[in-house]
Amino acid sequence: MRLTGLIFLILAVAPVCGVQAQLAQEDESRLYAQTKQVNQFFRRFNGEEDEKGERYYPRDRLYRSPKLRRKYLGILFDASNTGISNDLKVEFAKDVLDKEEPVILDFHGGNWFSEVHTTFTYNGKPEPVILFMELEKDHLGHKWVITRVHADMFDPYFGRDTTRVGRFLHPLSHELDFMNLRKAFLNPDSVSQYTTKRFRPDHLSLLLYEVRKGNMKFQSISEVKFHFFQIDGWYFELSQFNRPGYNTGWLISNLVKLNNESEKATLRRYLYYELAAK
Amino acid sequence: MIHYKNILTLLLILSAFANAAAQSADISPERKRAIDSLALEKVRDLSKYISIIGSKNTPFSEATRVMDRAEELFAPDAEMGVSSLNRKEIAYYKVRKYFERLIALNYDRVTIQWYDIHYISDLERQPDGRYVGVVTIYQRFEGVSDDGMRYRDTTKKDITIYVERKRTQISGRVVEFWDVLLGDIRVTETSA
Repeated sequence: MRLTGLIFLILAVAPVCGVQAQLAQEDESRLYAQTKQVNQFFRRFNGEEDEKGERYYPRDRLYRSPKLRRKYLGILFDASNTGISNDLKVEFAKDVLDKEEPVILDFHGGNWFSEVHTTFTYNGKPEPVILFMELEKDHLGHKWVITRVHADMFDPYFGRDTTRVGRFLHPLSHELDFMNLRKAFLNPDSVSQYTTKRFRPDHLSLLLYEVRKGNMKFQSISEVKFHFFQIDGWYFELSQFNRPGYNTGWLISNLVKLNNESEKATLRRYLYYELAAK
Repeated sequence: MIHYKNILTLLLILSAFANAAAQSADISPERKRAIDSLALEKVRDLSKYISIIGSKNTPFSEATRVMDRAEELFAPDAEMGVSSLNRKEIAYYKVRKYFERLIALNYDRVTIQWYDIHYISDLERQPDGRYVGVVTIYQRFEGVSDDGMRYRDTTKKDITIYVERKRTQISGRVVEFWDVLLGDIRVTETSA
């Protein structure tokens, strides 16, 4: 955490803590500094609350004040992540706090989603399953919905070497009413070779099917994080840090400058586990 | 069930907003503040009940009575999702079960204290028209056994609140009021 940010918080919080006699004041100031909810991340990022967490409204003088936003932005990064250079943070802050067009995060603005690491049991054996979730408007309000799923356990069933010729249905199969399909489906291991190159396995459908059949059962959640593409030219990841100190709670754990739409699309595919090596 | 104390708070909210547009879906800052107060009152009630239930000085019959009262604060099917620093995966308990586990903890003395910190989220409308929010509070637990074994932890409690406009009859008049029910609670052990 930048020193100025730390000082800002300690000075702001200390006089108003009202610490219960039995509890250490230091503990309490740490809890104040913590970005306790994703909601608080939004409000701090946008400069919409005071240091005690009381909300500012448009009629309040400090509502979205650039000075306030600059102070908060400094404490919203995971300070232990040396992978995010200071120059990059400065460039990001410059874009976000632009005098003419300041960038405000919008809870209902789309272009952000959650990655939820869960455990299901598959025929009794625990298996990790990743759910991707987004907010969706429905009737009188909004709800979180599952948009995608990735589960390593499904991958082996779709493995396909497209560099080799492999097995195929010859181009005149239709003249024989595709009678060679019988041979194609004889070997379960090679069935995927008969699909189009464009085929992308849909793990969400598989999950729903297996749960419906009673083969998969939800167990628990181990990690939640968020991916934001809401700011033009930037991507950032939001993760929760539960550790000692002042730099805790929901913090920016990754920041990437996106130079064009192609980079954005590639990054999205990477996040969705559609590219190898994640 | 609405407690008499809460009815008083509700009436205060009613009178404060008697002229507000009754059917408006938006919640004004003033109304939000009033709802926050009501939500905090319920959360404080819950904190008080947890301290009583957890205390080794509380007779079992009294603890059972308090558990009943505490359960009335919650919407049906509310659960506690608990994780610790050593175990990231969430363990799920029905609210009643969670209280029963608290009673059964094997310490001779238990102290439960609450930090003077809370954070209240914005209210979001869900598809059925009810509003939902989250109140975050922090609890310090200390359990001591007669043989000197001491266990301490600090937990963050993220408490779901459901906010709903309801109708009731008072002296023959139908009046609308905002009611708050508690929902699922996420309990995380913190490193603080």
